[in-house]
Amino acid sequence: MIKSEPKSILQFMANHYDLLRDLFDIQVKNDIITREALNICLENYDKNIQTQLTEYQILVEQNDDFAFNEPYLILFEFIHQQFKPLLPEEIEHFGQSIRTLFLKIKEGINDDKNILLERIEALSNQIKKFTNAVVNNTKSLLTESKELKANNKKIDYQEKIHKARYLIENYISPLNTILDVNHSQSIYNELLNVSQFSNVKRFDYRDESIRREFEKLYHLLRQVGKDLNTQSVILTNELLPLIERIKTESQYLRGFHHYLNNGNCYKGIEPPRIFVSTRDNIYNRFVYENTKEYFEQFKNEAELIIVEDAQQTNDWLFDKSKYKETLNKNLPVKDFFKWCESSIKQESENFSFDNFFMVTSLLFEDDYEVTVNKQGNKITVSNGESELIMPKLTIKKQEDVSR
Amino acid sequence: MYPDKHKEIVTSLMEGKFITVEDFLFETIKKNEDFYINFFETSFGFEVIGNHNFYYLVSGETNENTSRDISIFFSILCYELDKDGKNFLEELNYTEFYIDDILEYFKNSSWLDVIKANKQLNTDDSLKRHIGTMVKRNIAVKQGNDRYSFTKAHKLFIDFAKDLIKDDKNESIA
Repeated sequence: MIKSEPKSILQFMANHYDLLRDLFDIQVKNDIITREALNICLENYDKNIQTQLTEYQILVEQNDDFAFNEPYLILFEFIHQQFKPLLPEEIEHFGQSIRTLFLKIKEGINDDKNILLERIEALSNQIKKFTNAVVNNTKSLLTESKELKANNKKIDYQEKIHKARYLIENYISPLNTILDVNHSQSIYNELLNVSQFSNVKRFDYRDESIRREFEKLYHLLRQVGKDLNTQSVILTNELLPLIERIKTESQYLRGFHHYLNNGNCYKGIEPPRIFVSTRDNIYNRFVYENTKEYFEQFKNEAELIIVEDAQQTNDWLFDKSKYKETLNKNLPVKDFFKWCESSIKQESENFSFDNFFMVTSLLFEDDYEVTVNKQGNKITVSNGESELIMPKLTIKKQEDVSR
Repeated sequence: MYPDKHKEIVTSLMEGKFITVEDFLFETIKKNEDFYINFFETSFGFEVIGNHNFYYLVSGETNENTSRDISIFFSILCYELDKDGKNFLEELNYTEFYIDDILEYFKNSSWLDVIKANKQLNTDDSLKRHIGTMVKRNIAVKQGNDRYSFTKAHKLFIDFAKDLIKDDKNESIA
């Protein structure tokens, strides 16, 4: 028995809402509030309200620890719209009750009026509980999936995938089956059967009060139909695509993980082939660098000073046409090399043999016929430093020969 | 007669660019797909590869290093976007990225060993240059001074990673 006024309890809850909210969070997280956790919480808020918490039966003792009392837990879940998802088995439990009660109603349709009324009322209650369970479950699953997708806790993708798979296998897929209109065993289909039956009986039953109960049941089912349809739409349009996206992304993430892991991206796995561009330029791609390099090689070059030779040298140039003209005038010449010597000496007494041999090159001109002295006489040519011993050659004009 | 914009198409593809569905040249090449397949095969011995998102050229030679750098870049970026709670498939398709955000993702990445080993990704400057390379190939588009978006060509590199584990694809999840 709670001795306190309901108003006082609600006032107490309002005054200490923040503390109660923290306790609720601990309960949701750990399913229990340890004595130590309770003490820390009370100290944090500097409140000594443990007595009231137990007196109002907000907390109930469990061995040495505490837990939120069920009605308060439901109240907090409801006002925070923060529901713990029900397992499909828990929802199916409502389905079983609905099936059993409906069967009993059909079988005992002509039985005692009172039991029939109570069965109809019980059926309505189970349907309401079932609908609430489905609505709350869809909400909480959507919240969990969104949180998973947003990855607020920055968990690794493998853990995320694990959680997504867990949600799909244990909650979302079974919920989908429960609401699936195409599934003959779905609770949704069972509710349709109840709706059809009550629709007939609300007009076709001998007792008016029973007719009125069927009428209420029928209207309840119309509303439930709408509500479940909304949940089904949320499931199909939001929850399943959300999970589908997590699934698709997971395939990519697995790929990235595999590629980046163990240095795989550097060995063993060839990336996609891409084109090596072969743009042809009219000038070399590195023309700028090459030119720069070319000019830079002169940049730090030591200064080169050329000292001109002060002594003038008189280079002798062989004037071939002049010598040839002189030679032609003197033809035939009986001693060619002596002629060369005397001709060059007219220009310079101290001729070099290089200059001498340049003059002798006239010998190879096509215009002349050259014969060697038959007696084998030798002549000498001297420039004061050296002496050349040479054969005596006779030279004539080519045409003289032909005549 | 050659199709409209023939010169632009040939020049772009020969520069190693992707012609993506966002590009006005895409429709032309799509309409004349057989012609271009034949044209590049006969003229240069190159293969035109295309799908509903992009066209690009491949030859006997491939720029393996650049392709690897791009694949690593997208793998890490997607991984980090996912960790940040973003839908990376949608982000790559529709979002403009500030360069600083991209640099930040790489700086705080859990794949630091891979990043450090990659000269194109291991500093802010090299990352910026790498994004510049992607712009040249029309994989990324410069939207403003500091903002970039990605063209549909990014799919080549992320699908490549996804297909590495194709064998397990039929598993329900993971």
